[in-house]
Amino acid sequence: MRTQQQTDWQTAGLARRATRWLVAAVILGGASCVLFVLQLATLAHAVDDLTFKGHPLASTYPALVQVGALCAGSLLLQWLADMAGTEAGLRISASVQRDMLRHLFRAGPVGCATLPAGQIVTTMTEGTAALEPYFAQYIPRAAMMVVLPGLILAMVFHLDGWSFAILACTGPLIPVFMALIGYSAQAIMNRQWVQLLIMGSSFLDSLRGLGTLRLFGQTQASITRMREMAEAHRRATFSVMKVAFLTSAALEFFASLSIALVAVVFGARLLNGTADFRSAFLVLLLAPEYFMPLRAFSASYHARQNATAAAARIAEIFAIPELEANSQQPQNASGTHSAITALECQHVSAAYATATATATALDDVCCKFSRNQLTVLTGESGAGKTTLLRVLLGFLPVQAGHITALDRHRHPLALPQGCAGWLPQRPLMIFGTVADNLRLANPDADMHSLRAAARQADALGFIESLPNGFETMVGERGTLLSGGQIKRLALARVLLRAPDVLCLDEPTANLDPGSAHRITQTIRQCAANRIVIAATHDPALVRHADQILHIENARVENIVFPKDAAA
Amino acid sequence: MRQFYSPLPITGAMRWRLVLGLFLACVAALANFGLLFLSGWLLAGAAFAGAAGMAAQQAFNMMLPAAGVRFFATLRILSRYAERLVTHDTALQLIGALRAWTYGKLAPLAPAGVNDKRGGDLLSRFVTDTDQVGQYYTDTLLPFVRAGVCCAVAIGITAIFLKTAAVWLIAACLMCGVAVPFVTGRLSDALLARVATEQGVQQADLAETLQSLGDYLTLGAAERQQEHILRQQRALMAAQRKLAALEGAARGIITLCATGTTLAVLISAVEAFQNHALSLPEVPMLVLGSLAAFDVLAPLPAARQTWGRIRLAATRLHAACAVSPLVPTPAIPAQAQPPYNLKLANVSFRYPETHQWILHKASLSIRQGERVALIGPSGSGKSSLISLLFRFYPYQEGKISFSGMDLSSFQAETLAQNISVAAQNFHLFNGSLRDNLLLAAPHATEADLQDALRVVQLHAFVAQTPQGLDTLIGNDGFKLSGGQAKRLTIAQSLLRKTPWLILDEPTEGLDAETETALMTSLLKARPDATLLCITHRRTVLPFMDRAIRIENGAFHSAEEARA
Repeated sequence: MRTQQQTDWQTAGLARRATRWLVAAVILGGASCVLFVLQLATLAHAVDDLTFKGHPLASTYPALVQVGALCAGSLLLQWLADMAGTEAGLRISASVQRDMLRHLFRAGPVGCATLPAGQIVTTMTEGTAALEPYFAQYIPRAAMMVVLPGLILAMVFHLDGWSFAILACTGPLIPVFMALIGYSAQAIMNRQWVQLLIMGSSFLDSLRGLGTLRLFGQTQASITRMREMAEAHRRATFSVMKVAFLTSAALEFFASLSIALVAVVFGARLLNGTADFRSAFLVLLLAPEYFMPLRAFSASYHARQNATAAAARIAEIFAIPELEANSQQPQNASGTHSAITALECQHVSAAYATATATATALDDVCCKFSRNQLTVLTGESGAGKTTLLRVLLGFLPVQAGHITALDRHRHPLALPQGCAGWLPQRPLMIFGTVADNLRLANPDADMHSLRAAARQADALGFIESLPNGFETMVGERGTLLSGGQIKRLALARVLLRAPDVLCLDEPTANLDPGSAHRITQTIRQCAANRIVIAATHDPALVRHADQILHIENARVENIVFPKDAAA
Repeated sequence: MRQFYSPLPITGAMRWRLVLGLFLACVAALANFGLLFLSGWLLAGAAFAGAAGMAAQQAFNMMLPAAGVRFFATLRILSRYAERLVTHDTALQLIGALRAWTYGKLAPLAPAGVNDKRGGDLLSRFVTDTDQVGQYYTDTLLPFVRAGVCCAVAIGITAIFLKTAAVWLIAACLMCGVAVPFVTGRLSDALLARVATEQGVQQADLAETLQSLGDYLTLGAAERQQEHILRQQRALMAAQRKLAALEGAARGIITLCATGTTLAVLISAVEAFQNHALSLPEVPMLVLGSLAAFDVLAPLPAARQTWGRIRLAATRLHAACAVSPLVPTPAIPAQAQPPYNLKLANVSFRYPETHQWILHKASLSIRQGERVALIGPSGSGKSSLISLLFRFYPYQEGKISFSGMDLSSFQAETLAQNISVAAQNFHLFNGSLRDNLLLAAPHATEADLQDALRVVQLHAFVAQTPQGLDTLIGNDGFKLSGGQAKRLTIAQSLLRKTPWLILDEPTEGLDAETETALMTSLLKARPDATLLCITHRRTVLPFMDRAIRIENGAFHSAEEARA
């Protein structure tokens, strides 16, 4: 199943997404070619009649009108063929982009972080855009490379044996020769694509870090680095172009050579009076057209190389494993599923996949989280607290063991995506207003529920003191708010969904003691009808816990129930 | 375009390459014209001579015109190859220069200037716009100049033989070189603007979506976000479809014009031939010659469309780069002299376009060698103080001085030589641990790196990873825990060995044991440093000389905090 799908991201598999449009493009293009060849034949006939045969102008007018009509018809068909090709290209690139986005959501944040964000964005935009000309131009042109020369050869065969022999011999040599050059061009192309991606992602990275770079006094050095990278990009692109230009120069040389050969053979026979001008003129009109599709094809050859290289990058993104839990439809928290009353981890192990090895992040963890309980995860930073939260949230697959959700009759429940709320260590704010950020959790939430959630998260005070209240813009990544304000806004957003399970990563970090105290109270209240799990170092929050899991070296070292101990 | 090119360093060598490229392009197009013109004559001449009998066959000199045909054919191939090499290399050089220029312009604007610009959009601007503006020369200027030169030559030569044919050619040139490009250009400009805007928005949204993937999933907004992006995609496709239709129609019209002109030239040439004003071989010669003229006219509508694209890209690049920094850079940046004392006197500060004072008539004095904790509620302006110190934002009232000189006489980069910051909104670059450490201090030795890691209690972690310092930390330091990432930034600032150290929440996310170990070794490693710790944690206070509380926009001494 998996390998079957892998091949779908190669260009041949992608073509299946718009077969009908591609077939239409080829048929319309072929019909246009037929009209075009007829047009040239009529023109040659008319020129011969007017000059050598000495016919009066008036008698050839119908033929000339016919030339015009054939030309218009051929152009109209060509235009329709182009549009069909464009449609195929647009549809394919759009559907790939759509599938990729869906895949990224299924892979989750942990999986996606294995590739640089800039690289993924570049592949999703420029990479899928590179597919468009391949299907819009390359494939129809590749088909025309067979249709038009075939038609012309048939016509020339009918007119003149010598010319037919010359064209039939030289024509097939060209694609063979080009394939040889194209092979090395492909390797260079792949290298250049990597350069482009590195440039793309490094610029996004540098932009995000511009503030940090300035604090380090490294602005000038980073500009120099950027210049070096641009120069490397130029060299890479130029080396591809050199090969491409050499290919087309060679193609042109061969084409000119065989047209010249046809002309010389005709010229000698014309001079001897053994050939007629009409055939000669028509063959010489047709000869360049015989090579024209080849030239157009070689011009769009880089479209193929771009597309193949892009397809490899696209496959790389689709190779990020999907999380199984995400295959289920997200369920609204207010839906009809019965409430989760307990979460049990049995011998759970998890690991991060890196390029070279897998780093074990959780090792044989057994624990239980119950409704109405506040569980606190403690331990050194890097011990595995965040990892446990990620496993519970379904962002990281469980390698061994089980996580089971139980309802109040202790029946196991499916763990639907979206039933757990998450407050990350560095919550991300979308570009928009405070209300936009809150409504992410529930687009239909009215002002009343927004205010209630904000009050619960101790965020109402600061929101109302902002210049436009809930309508204040938060800036890119919430830069216009302080760290503590972002955290409280994010908590309000999570609470808006009233989740069964609430996972909090350092909820009181970056808050002043007063605000932290209030947030701790809020968290305490939240635990009244749900499972709350918080990773923290804050002793104040630990004091309010019903259960303390101490994590050390990816293992749960001990579990403490402070209230039981006190009782 | 001029206004855009003016800041670019187009050196003498590059200018000559531009001229050479134009020259080669014209030579290639004229060679093509000569080839068709001459071979039309040669073919008809040979046929005429062949038909006329033995004497005419003997008299017909095929050698010279045939040599001409060979010359033009060779010239066409060689000059086209050379033209492509020269023009594309020049375009790439221009693109490279533009990229560096754009980045150099954007860098000093950060972080205030890039606040409301979305990362994804800037990425698209940088890569795509610089590419397009750099191709102005090959894709727009060159086709029009070449068409102008070659059409003039073709019309001139045709006029020598037949005036009416030349008139037809002039009409065709005006139609295909001026009218069609103008009309398609006008129609496509609006569409292009829409496509460009929508592409920018889509890219920004994709970047944002990717950053907040986990948030979208847990908030149940994943489906909605996908639908939102799909809607954008459909709108974009509709515009792209219209553009393609326009482009194809323009191409069709030009070809139709070519056929029409060929027929018109044919009719007038035949009339002239029948009036004995032209010889027979000159009829196909003129017909093929006028066809050759269309080879240079055909690319013009596309060139005009490209020009619309380039103009958009240039305007956008210009808009992104022309923003003047919020804080002017001093003409002659001063160098700080010891003692490095910091003094704020009655400073008032608020962020641009906001109304709330972050600092209001606030005064503060920190002498060199002091260790000061800065405490206060979140959002009270503790982190803003860093932005102010580095002159990222202007303050509205009062006076700030560093080492006895007014802050406005310094550049952010000069201040960075004396002050190191481990900021709260730090950014770790995608690369190895070593890359990130060396980014802060390019000349640090291996021993320096190990020492810094030991101070921040990361040496054990680094030692146990298989690749050690070459471990890749992923996007935004994703493979590190929050505490590890924080400590890495402290190591970065330690490596820079500046007299001042500002640590924003240095021990956030650390357990008590690591926190004590870190603070102890930090003070031992840099006993001389002026230390400003922005913190919430009371556990840090015993390591400090004094604590200052910031509340309601003012600094208060908080001696009781030490107790």
